[in-house]
Amino acid sequence: MASAASGKGALAGGRVVYIAMLAPALCLLFLTIVPFLDGVYTSLTNEKLYAGVTRFVGFANYLKLAQNPTFWIALGNTLLYAGLATLIQIPLGLAVALLLDVPSKVQWFFRSTIALPLLIPPVVAGLMWKTMMQPQSGVLNWLLAQVGLPPFAWLSDPSTALVSIVLIDTWLFMPLAAIILLAGLQSISGEVLEAARIDGANAWQTIRHIKLQALKPYIVLVAMFRIPDALKSLEIIYATTRGGPLNATRTLHVMAYEEAYRWSSLGRAMAIVFILWVLSYIFSAILLTLWRKEETRFHGR
Amino acid sequence: MAAKLTPRKMTHGALLTLGYALLGCFVLFPIYWIFTMSLKEFGDIIAYPPRFSFVPTFENYREILFGNEADQAGGVMPDLLRFLRNSVIISSGAVLLSVILGLPAAYALARGEAKRANRARFTILSFRFAPELAIILPLYAFYTRTGLYDSYVGMILVHQLITLPLMILILMSFIRDIPIEIEEAARIDGAGPLTILLQIIVPIAKPGLASAMIIAFIFSWNNLIFGLVLAGGETRPITMGILQAMTFDQIKWGLMAAAAMVSAVPGMIASLLFQRQITRGLTLGAVK
Repeated sequence: MASAASGKGALAGGRVVYIAMLAPALCLLFLTIVPFLDGVYTSLTNEKLYAGVTRFVGFANYLKLAQNPTFWIALGNTLLYAGLATLIQIPLGLAVALLLDVPSKVQWFFRSTIALPLLIPPVVAGLMWKTMMQPQSGVLNWLLAQVGLPPFAWLSDPSTALVSIVLIDTWLFMPLAAIILLAGLQSISGEVLEAARIDGANAWQTIRHIKLQALKPYIVLVAMFRIPDALKSLEIIYATTRGGPLNATRTLHVMAYEEAYRWSSLGRAMAIVFILWVLSYIFSAILLTLWRKEETRFHGR
Repeated sequence: MAAKLTPRKMTHGALLTLGYALLGCFVLFPIYWIFTMSLKEFGDIIAYPPRFSFVPTFENYREILFGNEADQAGGVMPDLLRFLRNSVIISSGAVLLSVILGLPAAYALARGEAKRANRARFTILSFRFAPELAIILPLYAFYTRTGLYDSYVGMILVHQLITLPLMILILMSFIRDIPIEIEEAARIDGAGPLTILLQIIVPIAKPGLASAMIIAFIFSWNNLIFGLVLAGGETRPITMGILQAMTFDQIKWGLMAAAAMVSAVPGMIASLLFQRQITRGLTLGAVK
Protein backbone atom coordinates (compact mmCIF):
# COMPACT_ATOMS: atom_id res chain seq x y z
CA MET A 1 0.00 0.00 0.00
CA ALA A 2 1.10 3.56 -0.61
CA SER A 3 2.38 5.54 2.30
CA ALA A 4 -0.63 7.84 2.20
CA ALA A 5 -2.99 4.94 2.82
CA SER A 6 -1.81 4.49 6.35
CA GLY A 7 -1.54 7.31 8.82
CA LYS A 8 -1.39 10.89 7.69
CA GLY A 9 -0.65 12.04 4.17
CA ALA A 10 0.83 15.24 2.83
CA LEU A 11 -2.46 17.11 2.72
CA ALA A 12 -3.76 15.92 6.08
CA GLY A 13 -5.77 18.62 7.81
CA GLY A 14 -5.24 21.10 5.00
CA ARG A 15 -7.93 23.34 3.59
CA VAL A 16 -6.89 22.10 0.15
CA VAL A 17 -8.94 18.92 0.61
CA TYR A 18 -12.12 20.85 1.29
CA ILE A 19 -11.57 23.24 -1.60
CA ALA A 20 -10.95 20.34 -3.99
CA MET A 21 -14.01 18.46 -2.76
CA LEU A 22 -16.31 21.47 -3.00
CA ALA A 23 -17.15 21.38 -6.71
CA PRO A 24 -17.83 17.63 -7.01
CA ALA A 25 -19.74 17.65 -3.73
CA LEU A 26 -21.97 20.51 -4.89
CA CYS A 27 -22.51 18.80 -8.22
CA LEU A 28 -23.52 15.47 -6.68
CA LEU A 29 -25.61 17.12 -3.96
CA PHE A 30 -27.48 19.13 -6.55
CA LEU A 31 -28.13 15.92 -8.47
CA THR A 32 -29.27 13.90 -5.46
CA ILE A 33 -30.38 15.88 -2.42
CA VAL A 34 -32.53 18.36 -4.33
CA PRO A 35 -34.37 15.65 -6.29
CA PHE A 36 -34.52 13.54 -3.12
CA LEU A 37 -36.35 16.20 -1.10
CA ASP A 38 -38.54 17.09 -4.06
CA GLY A 39 -39.27 13.38 -4.56
CA VAL A 40 -40.14 12.77 -0.91
CA TYR A 41 -42.68 15.57 -1.11
CA THR A 42 -44.03 14.29 -4.45
CA SER A 43 -44.57 10.83 -2.97
CA LEU A 44 -46.92 12.48 -0.46
CA THR A 45 -49.02 14.10 -3.19
CA ASN A 46 -51.26 12.91 -5.99
CA GLU A 47 -49.13 14.69 -8.61
CA LYS A 48 -49.77 13.69 -12.21
CA LEU A 49 -47.07 13.89 -14.84
CA TYR A 50 -48.63 16.24 -17.35
CA ALA A 51 -51.58 18.07 -15.86
CA GLY A 52 -54.07 18.45 -13.06
CA VAL A 53 -54.08 19.99 -9.62
CA THR A 54 -51.57 18.58 -7.16
CA ARG A 55 -52.92 17.90 -3.70
CA PHE A 56 -51.14 16.81 -0.55
CA VAL A 57 -52.40 13.34 0.31
CA GLY A 58 -50.13 12.30 3.19
CA PHE A 59 -49.23 8.65 3.19
CA ALA A 60 -52.11 7.67 0.92
CA ASN A 61 -49.77 6.51 -1.87
CA TYR A 62 -47.89 4.22 0.49
CA LEU A 63 -51.10 2.86 2.04
CA LYS A 64 -52.59 2.19 -1.38
CA LEU A 65 -49.44 0.36 -2.40
CA ALA A 66 -49.67 -1.90 0.64
CA GLN A 67 -53.17 -2.88 -0.47
CA ASN A 68 -52.13 -3.42 -4.09
CA PRO A 69 -51.35 -7.10 -4.79
CA THR A 70 -49.19 -6.10 -7.79
CA PHE A 71 -46.89 -4.20 -5.43
CA TRP A 72 -46.27 -7.32 -3.37
CA ILE A 73 -45.68 -9.36 -6.53
CA ALA A 74 -43.20 -6.72 -7.73
CA LEU A 75 -41.45 -6.68 -4.35
CA GLY A 76 -41.17 -10.48 -4.49
CA ASN A 77 -39.85 -10.36 -8.06
CA THR A 78 -37.29 -7.72 -7.10
CA LEU A 79 -35.95 -9.79 -4.22
CA LEU A 80 -36.04 -13.00 -6.28
CA TYR A 81 -34.17 -11.33 -9.16
CA ALA A 82 -31.45 -9.94 -6.89
CA GLY A 83 -31.21 -13.18 -4.91
CA LEU A 84 -30.99 -15.42 -7.98
CA ALA A 85 -28.54 -13.11 -9.75
CA THR A 86 -26.20 -13.03 -6.75
CA LEU A 87 -26.48 -16.73 -5.93
CA ILE A 88 -25.78 -17.71 -9.55
CA GLN A 89 -23.14 -15.13 -10.41
CA ILE A 90 -20.88 -15.52 -7.38
CA PRO A 91 -20.34 -19.31 -7.66
CA LEU A 92 -20.18 -19.10 -11.47
CA GLY A 93 -17.77 -16.18 -11.31
CA LEU A 94 -15.69 -18.14 -8.80
CA ALA A 95 -15.56 -21.15 -11.13
CA VAL A 96 -14.51 -18.94 -14.04
CA ALA A 97 -11.89 -17.17 -11.90
CA LEU A 98 -10.42 -20.51 -10.80
CA LEU A 99 -10.35 -21.60 -14.45
CA LEU A 100 -8.63 -18.41 -15.60
CA ASP A 101 -6.12 -18.67 -12.75
CA VAL A 102 -4.70 -21.92 -14.17
CA PRO A 103 -1.70 -21.12 -16.39
CA SER A 104 -2.37 -22.20 -19.99
CA LYS A 105 -1.83 -21.12 -23.57
CA VAL A 106 -5.32 -19.74 -24.13
CA GLN A 107 -5.48 -17.90 -20.81
CA TRP A 108 -4.63 -14.49 -22.29
CA PHE A 109 -7.37 -14.82 -24.91
CA PHE A 110 -10.08 -15.47 -22.34
CA ARG A 111 -8.82 -12.84 -19.95
CA SER A 112 -9.23 -10.20 -22.63
CA THR A 113 -12.56 -11.41 -24.00
CA ILE A 114 -14.31 -11.99 -20.69
CA ALA A 115 -14.81 -8.27 -20.08
CA LEU A 116 -16.60 -7.91 -23.41
CA PRO A 117 -20.22 -8.30 -22.17
CA LEU A 118 -19.62 -5.70 -19.44
CA LEU A 119 -18.98 -3.10 -22.09
CA ILE A 120 -22.17 -3.70 -24.05
CA PRO A 121 -25.18 -1.49 -23.23
CA PRO A 122 -27.68 -3.49 -21.11
CA VAL A 123 -30.52 -2.47 -23.42
CA VAL A 124 -28.56 -3.88 -26.37
CA ALA A 125 -27.83 -7.09 -24.48
CA GLY A 126 -31.54 -7.38 -23.69
CA LEU A 127 -32.48 -7.06 -27.37
CA MET A 128 -29.74 -9.50 -28.43
CA TRP A 129 -30.95 -12.19 -26.06
CA LYS A 130 -34.61 -11.50 -26.82
CA THR A 131 -33.83 -12.24 -30.45
CA MET A 132 -32.12 -15.49 -29.58
CA MET A 133 -34.86 -16.48 -27.12
CA GLN A 134 -37.75 -16.38 -29.62
CA PRO A 135 -39.65 -19.62 -28.82
CA GLN A 136 -40.37 -20.62 -32.44
CA SER A 137 -37.58 -19.15 -34.50
CA GLY A 138 -34.85 -18.40 -31.96
CA VAL A 139 -31.43 -19.94 -32.17
CA LEU A 140 -31.38 -21.04 -28.51
CA ASN A 141 -34.28 -23.47 -28.90
CA TRP A 142 -32.71 -24.75 -32.11
CA LEU A 143 -29.47 -25.40 -30.18
CA LEU A 144 -31.45 -27.21 -27.44
CA ALA A 145 -33.07 -29.38 -30.09
CA GLN A 146 -29.63 -30.26 -31.50
CA VAL A 147 -28.61 -31.81 -28.19
CA GLY A 148 -31.97 -33.54 -27.81
CA LEU A 149 -33.58 -31.20 -25.27
CA PRO A 150 -37.20 -29.97 -25.47
CA PRO A 151 -37.80 -26.31 -26.35
CA PHE A 152 -37.84 -23.78 -23.52
CA ALA A 153 -40.45 -21.00 -23.28
CA TRP A 154 -37.88 -18.35 -22.22
CA LEU A 155 -39.43 -14.87 -21.96
CA SER A 156 -42.88 -15.86 -23.23
CA ASP A 157 -44.06 -17.88 -20.23
CA PRO A 158 -44.68 -16.46 -16.73
CA SER A 159 -42.92 -19.41 -15.11
CA THR A 160 -39.68 -19.01 -17.07
CA ALA A 161 -39.52 -15.28 -17.83
CA LEU A 162 -37.77 -14.08 -14.67
CA VAL A 163 -35.18 -16.86 -14.86
CA SER A 164 -34.51 -15.89 -18.48
CA ILE A 165 -34.00 -12.25 -17.45
CA VAL A 166 -31.58 -13.39 -14.74
CA LEU A 167 -29.73 -15.38 -17.42
CA ILE A 168 -29.27 -12.19 -19.47
CA ASP A 169 -28.16 -10.37 -16.32
CA THR A 170 -25.69 -13.19 -15.66
CA TRP A 171 -24.24 -12.92 -19.15
CA LEU A 172 -23.72 -9.20 -18.62
CA PHE A 173 -22.36 -9.21 -15.07
CA MET A 174 -20.86 -12.63 -14.26
CA PRO A 175 -17.62 -11.35 -15.89
CA LEU A 176 -17.42 -8.62 -13.25
CA ALA A 177 -17.59 -11.26 -10.50
CA ALA A 178 -14.96 -13.32 -12.33
CA ILE A 179 -12.61 -10.34 -12.78
CA ILE A 180 -12.81 -9.30 -9.12
CA LEU A 181 -12.39 -12.86 -7.84
CA LEU A 182 -9.51 -13.51 -10.25
CA ALA A 183 -7.73 -10.44 -8.88
CA GLY A 184 -8.32 -11.89 -5.42
CA LEU A 185 -6.84 -15.25 -6.41
CA GLN A 186 -3.76 -13.55 -7.82
CA SER A 187 -3.22 -11.63 -4.61
CA ILE A 188 -2.62 -14.91 -2.74
CA SER A 189 1.11 -15.27 -2.30
CA GLY A 190 2.86 -18.14 -4.03
CA GLU A 191 4.58 -19.10 -0.80
CA VAL A 192 1.32 -19.94 0.94
CA LEU A 193 0.24 -22.16 -1.94
CA GLU A 194 3.69 -23.78 -2.06
CA ALA A 195 3.56 -24.50 1.67
CA ALA A 196 0.12 -26.10 1.27
CA ARG A 197 1.45 -28.30 -1.54
CA ILE A 198 4.40 -29.45 0.55
CA ASP A 199 2.02 -30.29 3.40
CA GLY A 200 0.26 -32.59 0.94
CA ALA A 201 -2.95 -30.62 0.38
CA ASN A 202 -4.77 -31.65 -2.80
CA ALA A 203 -6.34 -29.18 -5.24
CA TRP A 204 -9.75 -29.27 -3.57
CA GLN A 205 -8.30 -28.73 -0.10
CA THR A 206 -6.22 -25.83 -1.36
CA ILE A 207 -9.30 -24.20 -2.88
CA ARG A 208 -11.43 -24.74 0.22
CA HIS A 209 -9.02 -23.88 2.99
CA ILE A 210 -6.74 -21.29 1.40
CA LYS A 211 -8.24 -19.74 -1.70
CA LEU A 212 -11.83 -19.41 -0.46
CA GLN A 213 -10.66 -17.95 2.86
CA ALA A 214 -8.51 -15.36 1.10
CA LEU A 215 -11.34 -14.55 -1.32
CA LYS A 216 -13.86 -13.64 1.40
CA PRO A 217 -13.43 -9.84 1.16
CA TYR A 218 -13.56 -10.08 -2.64
CA ILE A 219 -16.79 -12.09 -2.49
CA VAL A 220 -18.32 -9.39 -0.28
CA LEU A 221 -17.10 -6.81 -2.81
CA VAL A 222 -18.84 -8.65 -5.65
CA ALA A 223 -22.06 -8.78 -3.62
CA MET A 224 -21.68 -5.07 -2.92
CA PHE A 225 -21.51 -4.34 -6.63
CA ARG A 226 -24.18 -6.80 -7.68
CA ILE A 227 -26.99 -6.71 -5.09
CA PRO A 228 -27.83 -2.97 -5.30
CA ASP A 229 -27.52 -3.05 -9.10
CA ALA A 230 -29.73 -6.14 -9.38
CA LEU A 231 -32.36 -4.62 -7.08
CA LYS A 232 -32.69 -1.60 -9.37
CA SER A 233 -32.21 -3.39 -12.70
CA LEU A 234 -34.43 -1.74 -15.28
CA GLU A 235 -32.90 -1.57 -18.73
CA ILE A 236 -32.75 -5.31 -19.49
CA ILE A 237 -36.43 -5.69 -18.59
CA TYR A 238 -37.31 -2.53 -20.52
CA ALA A 239 -35.72 -4.03 -23.64
CA THR A 240 -37.33 -7.45 -23.26
CA THR A 241 -40.59 -7.98 -21.37
CA ARG A 242 -41.48 -4.62 -19.78
CA GLY A 243 -42.84 -6.45 -16.75
CA GLY A 244 -44.87 -9.17 -18.48
CA PRO A 245 -46.03 -11.81 -19.08
CA LEU A 246 -48.64 -11.57 -16.31
CA ASN A 247 -46.42 -9.46 -14.03
CA ALA A 248 -43.81 -12.23 -13.97
CA THR A 249 -40.93 -9.80 -14.51
CA ARG A 250 -42.50 -6.69 -12.95
CA THR A 251 -39.91 -5.51 -10.45
CA LEU A 252 -40.33 -2.40 -8.28
CA HIS A 253 -38.23 -0.25 -10.61
CA VAL A 254 -40.21 -1.39 -13.66
CA MET A 255 -43.48 -0.85 -11.79
CA ALA A 256 -42.38 2.70 -10.89
CA TYR A 257 -41.55 3.41 -14.53
CA GLU A 258 -44.98 2.15 -15.62
CA GLU A 259 -46.76 4.20 -12.94
CA ALA A 260 -44.95 7.32 -14.11
CA TYR A 261 -45.14 6.92 -17.87
CA ARG A 262 -48.14 4.68 -18.50
CA TRP A 263 -50.44 5.98 -15.79
CA SER A 264 -48.59 9.31 -15.39
CA SER A 265 -48.99 8.97 -11.63
CA LEU A 266 -45.84 10.62 -10.36
CA GLY A 267 -46.83 10.47 -6.69
CA ARG A 268 -47.26 6.69 -6.71
CA ALA A 269 -44.10 6.19 -8.82
CA MET A 270 -42.05 8.14 -6.28
CA ALA A 271 -43.50 6.14 -3.38
CA ILE A 272 -42.37 2.92 -5.11
CA VAL A 273 -38.84 4.10 -5.86
CA PHE A 274 -38.38 5.29 -2.29
CA ILE A 275 -39.34 1.89 -0.94
CA LEU A 276 -36.82 0.42 -3.42
CA TRP A 277 -34.19 2.93 -2.31
CA VAL A 278 -34.67 2.01 1.36
CA LEU A 279 -34.44 -1.69 0.47
CA SER A 280 -31.26 -1.10 -1.51
CA TYR A 281 -29.83 1.05 1.28
CA ILE A 282 -30.41 -1.63 3.95
CA PHE A 283 -28.65 -4.32 1.89
CA SER A 284 -25.81 -1.96 0.99
CA ALA A 285 -25.29 -0.88 4.59
CA ILE A 286 -25.02 -4.52 5.72
CA LEU A 287 -22.56 -5.29 2.92
CA LEU A 288 -20.50 -2.17 3.58
CA THR A 289 -20.12 -3.14 7.24
CA LEU A 290 -19.14 -6.67 6.22
CA TRP A 291 -16.64 -5.35 3.69
CA ARG A 292 -14.99 -2.95 6.14
CA LYS A 293 -14.65 -5.81 8.62
CA GLU A 294 -13.08 -8.11 6.03
CA GLU A 295 -10.78 -5.37 4.77
CA THR A 296 -9.53 -4.54 8.26
CA ARG A 297 -8.97 -8.22 8.94
CA PHE A 298 -6.87 -8.72 5.84
CA HIS A 299 -5.05 -5.45 5.48
CA GLY A 300 -4.87 -4.49 9.14
CA ARG A 301 -6.30 -1.05 8.39
CA MET B 1 5.27 -40.82 -9.33
CA ALA B 2 5.45 -39.18 -12.74
CA ALA B 3 3.79 -42.18 -14.36
CA LYS B 4 1.02 -42.04 -11.75
CA LEU B 5 0.30 -38.41 -12.51
CA THR B 6 -0.24 -38.84 -16.24
CA PRO B 7 -3.89 -39.98 -16.26
CA ARG B 8 -4.70 -37.37 -13.68
CA LYS B 9 -3.02 -34.73 -15.83
CA MET B 10 -5.11 -35.91 -18.76
CA THR B 11 -8.41 -35.51 -16.89
CA HIS B 12 -7.11 -32.18 -15.67
CA GLY B 13 -6.46 -31.09 -19.26
CA ALA B 14 -9.83 -32.37 -20.44
CA LEU B 15 -11.61 -30.49 -17.66
CA LEU B 16 -9.78 -27.30 -18.54
CA THR B 17 -10.70 -27.65 -22.21
CA LEU B 18 -14.33 -28.29 -21.32
CA GLY B 19 -14.35 -25.25 -19.05
CA TYR B 20 -12.86 -23.00 -21.71
CA ALA B 21 -15.30 -24.31 -24.32
CA LEU B 22 -18.35 -23.67 -22.12
CA LEU B 23 -17.08 -20.23 -21.11
CA GLY B 24 -16.25 -19.29 -24.70
CA CYS B 25 -19.67 -20.35 -25.98
CA PHE B 26 -21.56 -18.55 -23.23
CA VAL B 27 -19.63 -15.28 -23.49
CA LEU B 28 -19.02 -15.10 -27.23
CA PHE B 29 -21.93 -16.86 -28.93
CA PRO B 30 -24.48 -14.03 -28.42
CA ILE B 31 -22.02 -11.50 -29.83
CA TYR B 32 -21.19 -13.78 -32.77
CA TRP B 33 -24.88 -14.39 -33.45
CA ILE B 34 -25.93 -10.73 -33.50
CA PHE B 35 -22.86 -9.82 -35.55
CA THR B 36 -23.76 -12.37 -38.24
CA MET B 37 -27.41 -11.31 -38.04
CA SER B 38 -26.37 -7.75 -38.85
CA LEU B 39 -24.79 -9.08 -42.07
CA LYS B 40 -27.80 -11.15 -43.12
CA GLU B 41 -30.63 -10.43 -45.54
CA PHE B 42 -34.16 -10.64 -44.17
CA GLY B 43 -34.65 -14.10 -45.69
CA ASP B 44 -31.53 -15.43 -43.99
CA ILE B 45 -32.58 -13.93 -40.65
CA ILE B 46 -36.04 -15.47 -40.45
CA ALA B 47 -34.94 -18.84 -41.89
CA TYR B 48 -35.51 -21.83 -39.66
CA PRO B 49 -33.42 -23.86 -38.95
CA PRO B 50 -31.05 -20.90 -38.36
CA ARG B 51 -28.48 -20.35 -41.11
CA PHE B 52 -24.84 -20.41 -40.16
CA SER B 53 -23.59 -19.94 -43.71
CA PHE B 54 -24.98 -17.16 -45.88
CA VAL B 55 -23.90 -14.47 -48.30
CA PRO B 56 -22.98 -11.43 -46.19
CA THR B 57 -24.48 -8.05 -47.04
CA PHE B 58 -23.80 -4.59 -45.66
CA GLU B 59 -27.32 -3.45 -46.54
CA ASN B 60 -28.40 -3.19 -42.87
CA TYR B 61 -25.45 -0.96 -42.00
CA ARG B 62 -25.99 1.15 -45.11
CA GLU B 63 -29.63 1.71 -44.18
CA ILE B 64 -29.08 2.64 -40.52
CA LEU B 65 -26.10 4.88 -41.26
CA PHE B 66 -27.17 6.57 -44.47
CA GLY B 67 -30.96 6.19 -44.41
CA ASN B 68 -33.32 4.94 -47.08
CA GLU B 69 -33.65 6.43 -50.57
CA ALA B 70 -36.34 8.96 -49.56
CA ASP B 71 -34.16 10.37 -46.77
CA GLN B 72 -31.11 10.54 -49.00
CA ALA B 73 -33.06 12.39 -51.70
CA GLY B 74 -34.43 14.84 -49.12
CA GLY B 75 -31.01 15.38 -47.58
CA VAL B 76 -32.36 14.32 -44.17
CA MET B 77 -29.77 13.20 -41.66
CA PRO B 78 -30.52 9.57 -40.83
CA ASP B 79 -31.64 8.91 -37.26
CA LEU B 80 -28.78 6.72 -36.16
CA LEU B 81 -26.17 9.28 -37.14
CA ARG B 82 -28.02 11.89 -35.09
CA PHE B 83 -28.17 9.54 -32.12
CA LEU B 84 -24.49 8.75 -32.53
CA ARG B 85 -23.59 12.44 -32.63
CA ASN B 86 -25.68 13.06 -29.50
CA SER B 87 -24.01 10.21 -27.63
CA VAL B 88 -20.54 11.40 -28.61
CA ILE B 89 -21.30 14.94 -27.40
CA ILE B 90 -22.97 13.86 -24.15
CA SER B 91 -20.48 11.17 -23.17
CA SER B 92 -17.32 13.11 -24.03
CA GLY B 93 -18.74 16.23 -22.40
CA ALA B 94 -19.63 14.28 -19.27
CA VAL B 95 -16.16 12.70 -19.09
CA LEU B 96 -14.37 16.03 -19.56
CA LEU B 97 -16.45 17.74 -16.88
CA SER B 98 -15.78 14.80 -14.56
CA VAL B 99 -12.03 15.07 -15.11
CA ILE B 100 -12.11 18.78 -14.26
CA LEU B 101 -14.24 18.25 -11.15
CA GLY B 102 -12.91 14.87 -10.11
CA LEU B 103 -9.13 15.05 -10.60
CA PRO B 104 -8.41 17.60 -7.82
CA ALA B 105 -10.85 15.81 -5.52
CA ALA B 106 -9.26 12.42 -6.17
CA TYR B 107 -5.81 13.86 -5.51
CA ALA B 108 -6.90 15.58 -2.32
CA LEU B 109 -8.56 12.41 -1.03
CA ALA B 110 -5.64 10.17 -1.97
CA ARG B 111 -3.16 12.44 -0.22
CA GLY B 112 -5.40 13.40 2.67
CA GLU B 113 -6.09 11.63 5.92
CA ALA B 114 -6.68 7.92 5.32
CA LYS B 115 -9.74 7.76 7.54
CA ARG B 116 -11.43 10.65 5.80
CA ALA B 117 -10.54 9.19 2.41
CA ASN B 118 -12.21 5.91 3.34
CA ARG B 119 -15.33 7.68 4.54
CA ALA B 120 -15.45 9.67 1.31
CA ARG B 121 -14.99 6.47 -0.67
CA PHE B 122 -18.06 4.91 0.95
CA THR B 123 -20.12 8.05 0.45
CA ILE B 124 -19.17 8.19 -3.21
CA LEU B 125 -19.88 4.47 -3.61
CA SER B 126 -23.33 4.97 -2.09
CA PHE B 127 -24.36 7.12 -5.06
CA ARG B 128 -24.52 3.83 -6.94
CA PHE B 129 -27.22 2.49 -4.64
CA ALA B 130 -29.98 4.95 -5.52
CA PRO B 131 -32.51 3.75 -8.11
CA GLU B 132 -32.10 6.07 -11.11
CA LEU B 133 -35.79 6.93 -11.28
CA ALA B 134 -35.76 8.23 -7.69
CA ILE B 135 -33.44 10.96 -8.92
CA ILE B 136 -34.46 11.64 -12.48
CA LEU B 137 -38.23 11.69 -12.07
CA PRO B 138 -37.98 14.74 -9.74
CA LEU B 139 -35.20 16.16 -11.96
CA TYR B 140 -37.58 15.99 -14.92
CA ALA B 141 -39.83 18.65 -13.36
CA PHE B 142 -36.82 20.81 -12.52
CA TYR B 143 -35.37 20.37 -16.01
CA THR B 144 -38.58 21.39 -17.77
CA ARG B 145 -38.86 24.50 -15.57
CA THR B 146 -35.28 25.61 -16.18
CA GLY B 147 -34.93 24.71 -19.86
CA LEU B 148 -32.37 22.01 -19.16
CA TYR B 149 -34.76 19.36 -20.51
CA ASP B 150 -33.58 17.95 -23.84
CA SER B 151 -30.38 20.05 -23.79
CA TYR B 152 -26.80 18.84 -24.02
CA VAL B 153 -25.92 20.78 -20.86
CA GLY B 154 -28.71 19.06 -18.95
CA MET B 155 -27.70 15.62 -20.20
CA ILE B 156 -23.99 16.20 -19.45
CA LEU B 157 -24.95 17.36 -15.97
CA VAL B 158 -27.11 14.34 -15.14
CA HIS B 159 -24.46 11.99 -16.54
CA GLN B 160 -22.17 13.23 -13.73
CA LEU B 161 -24.12 10.78 -11.57
CA ILE B 162 -22.39 8.01 -13.54
CA THR B 163 -19.05 9.51 -14.53
CA LEU B 164 -18.04 11.60 -11.50
CA PRO B 165 -18.07 8.83 -8.83
CA LEU B 166 -16.26 6.49 -11.25
CA MET B 167 -13.66 9.14 -11.99
CA ILE B 168 -12.95 9.98 -8.34
CA LEU B 169 -12.81 6.35 -7.16
CA ILE B 170 -10.61 5.06 -9.97
CA LEU B 171 -8.22 8.04 -9.93
CA MET B 172 -7.96 7.90 -6.15
CA SER B 173 -6.78 4.31 -6.24
CA PHE B 174 -4.16 5.08 -8.90
CA ILE B 175 -2.84 8.24 -7.19
CA ARG B 176 -2.55 6.40 -3.86
CA ASP B 177 -0.06 4.04 -5.47
CA ILE B 178 2.28 6.88 -6.45
CA PRO B 179 4.93 7.23 -3.73
CA ILE B 180 4.57 10.54 -1.95
CA GLU B 181 8.36 11.09 -1.92
CA ILE B 182 8.15 12.06 -5.59
CA GLU B 183 6.28 15.22 -4.59
CA GLU B 184 8.62 16.20 -1.75
CA ALA B 185 11.28 17.89 -3.86
CA ALA B 186 8.72 20.03 -5.66
CA ARG B 187 7.07 20.95 -2.37
CA ILE B 188 10.37 22.08 -0.91
CA ASP B 189 10.81 24.26 -3.99
CA GLY B 190 7.57 25.92 -3.01
CA ALA B 191 5.21 24.40 -5.59
CA GLY B 192 1.51 24.56 -4.68
CA PRO B 193 -0.85 21.58 -4.70
CA LEU B 194 -2.26 22.44 -8.13
CA THR B 195 1.20 22.70 -9.70
CA ILE B 196 2.22 19.39 -8.15
CA LEU B 197 -1.00 17.77 -9.36
CA LEU B 198 -0.67 18.98 -12.95
CA GLN B 199 3.10 18.75 -13.41
CA ILE B 200 4.02 15.70 -11.34
CA ILE B 201 0.97 13.55 -10.60
CA VAL B 202 -0.87 13.75 -13.92
CA PRO B 203 2.11 12.64 -16.06
CA ILE B 204 2.69 9.63 -13.78
CA ALA B 205 -0.99 8.77 -13.40
CA LYS B 206 -1.65 8.87 -17.15
CA PRO B 207 -2.60 5.17 -17.39
CA GLY B 208 -4.99 5.63 -14.48
CA LEU B 209 -6.48 8.72 -16.06
CA ALA B 210 -6.90 6.86 -19.35
CA SER B 211 -8.54 3.95 -17.55
CA ALA B 212 -10.94 6.20 -15.65
CA MET B 213 -11.85 8.15 -18.77
CA ILE B 214 -12.48 5.03 -20.86
CA ILE B 215 -14.64 3.37 -18.20
CA ALA B 216 -16.59 6.54 -17.48
CA PHE B 217 -17.14 7.10 -21.21
CA ILE B 218 -18.43 3.57 -21.77
CA PHE B 219 -20.79 3.59 -18.79
CA SER B 220 -22.15 6.95 -19.86
CA TRP B 221 -22.47 5.69 -23.46
CA ASN B 222 -24.32 2.55 -22.31
CA ASN B 223 -26.93 4.40 -20.29
CA LEU B 224 -30.51 4.35 -21.53
CA ILE B 225 -32.72 5.59 -18.71
CA PHE B 226 -31.42 9.18 -18.50
CA GLY B 227 -32.13 9.67 -22.18
CA LEU B 228 -35.50 7.98 -21.86
CA VAL B 229 -36.66 10.47 -19.23
CA LEU B 230 -34.67 13.67 -19.78
CA ALA B 231 -34.01 13.80 -23.54
CA GLY B 232 -36.57 14.87 -26.10
CA GLY B 233 -36.12 14.81 -29.85
CA GLU B 234 -32.85 16.75 -29.94
CA THR B 235 -30.49 14.94 -27.57
CA ARG B 236 -31.56 11.27 -27.67
CA PRO B 237 -28.56 8.97 -27.24
CA ILE B 238 -27.58 5.93 -29.32
CA THR B 239 -29.11 3.47 -26.83
CA MET B 240 -32.50 5.00 -27.67
CA GLY B 241 -31.72 4.82 -31.36
CA ILE B 242 -31.54 1.07 -31.29
CA LEU B 243 -35.01 0.89 -29.73
CA GLN B 244 -36.34 2.56 -32.87
CA ALA B 245 -36.01 -0.70 -34.73
CA MET B 246 -38.74 -1.99 -32.41
CA THR B 247 -41.27 0.82 -32.57
CA PHE B 248 -42.70 -0.35 -35.87
CA ASP B 249 -45.33 -3.06 -36.23
CA GLN B 250 -42.63 -5.66 -36.42
CA ILE B 251 -39.09 -5.73 -35.16
CA LYS B 252 -36.66 -5.04 -37.98
CA TRP B 253 -34.16 -7.64 -36.89
CA GLY B 254 -31.39 -6.82 -39.34
CA LEU B 255 -31.49 -3.11 -38.56
CA MET B 256 -31.66 -3.81 -34.84
CA ALA B 257 -28.63 -6.08 -35.03
CA ALA B 258 -26.64 -3.55 -37.05
CA ALA B 259 -27.58 -0.74 -34.65
CA ALA B 260 -26.65 -2.96 -31.71
CA MET B 261 -23.23 -3.62 -33.21
CA VAL B 262 -22.64 0.08 -33.88
CA SER B 263 -23.66 1.04 -30.33
CA ALA B 264 -21.43 -1.63 -28.80
CA VAL B 265 -18.38 -0.64 -30.86
CA PRO B 266 -16.71 1.75 -28.36
CA GLY B 267 -16.89 -0.82 -25.59
CA MET B 268 -15.60 -3.66 -27.71
CA ILE B 269 -12.67 -1.69 -29.13
CA ALA B 270 -11.76 -0.43 -25.67
CA SER B 271 -11.91 -3.91 -24.15
CA LEU B 272 -9.48 -5.25 -26.72
CA LEU B 273 -7.04 -2.33 -26.62
CA PHE B 274 -7.03 -1.45 -22.93
CA GLN B 275 -7.81 -4.78 -21.29
CA ARG B 276 -5.62 -4.32 -18.23
CA GLN B 277 -6.63 -0.75 -17.39
CA ILE B 278 -10.30 -1.60 -17.93
CA THR B 279 -10.14 -4.57 -15.60
CA ARG B 280 -8.90 -2.35 -12.83
CA GLY B 281 -11.25 0.48 -13.65
CA LEU B 282 -14.32 -1.77 -13.74
CA THR B 283 -13.81 -2.62 -10.10
CA LEU B 284 -13.63 1.12 -9.29
CA GLY B 285 -10.06 0.67 -8.17
CA ALA B 286 -11.21 -1.64 -5.39
CA VAL B 287 -9.08 -4.37 -6.94
CA LYS B 288 -5.51 -3.84 -8.09
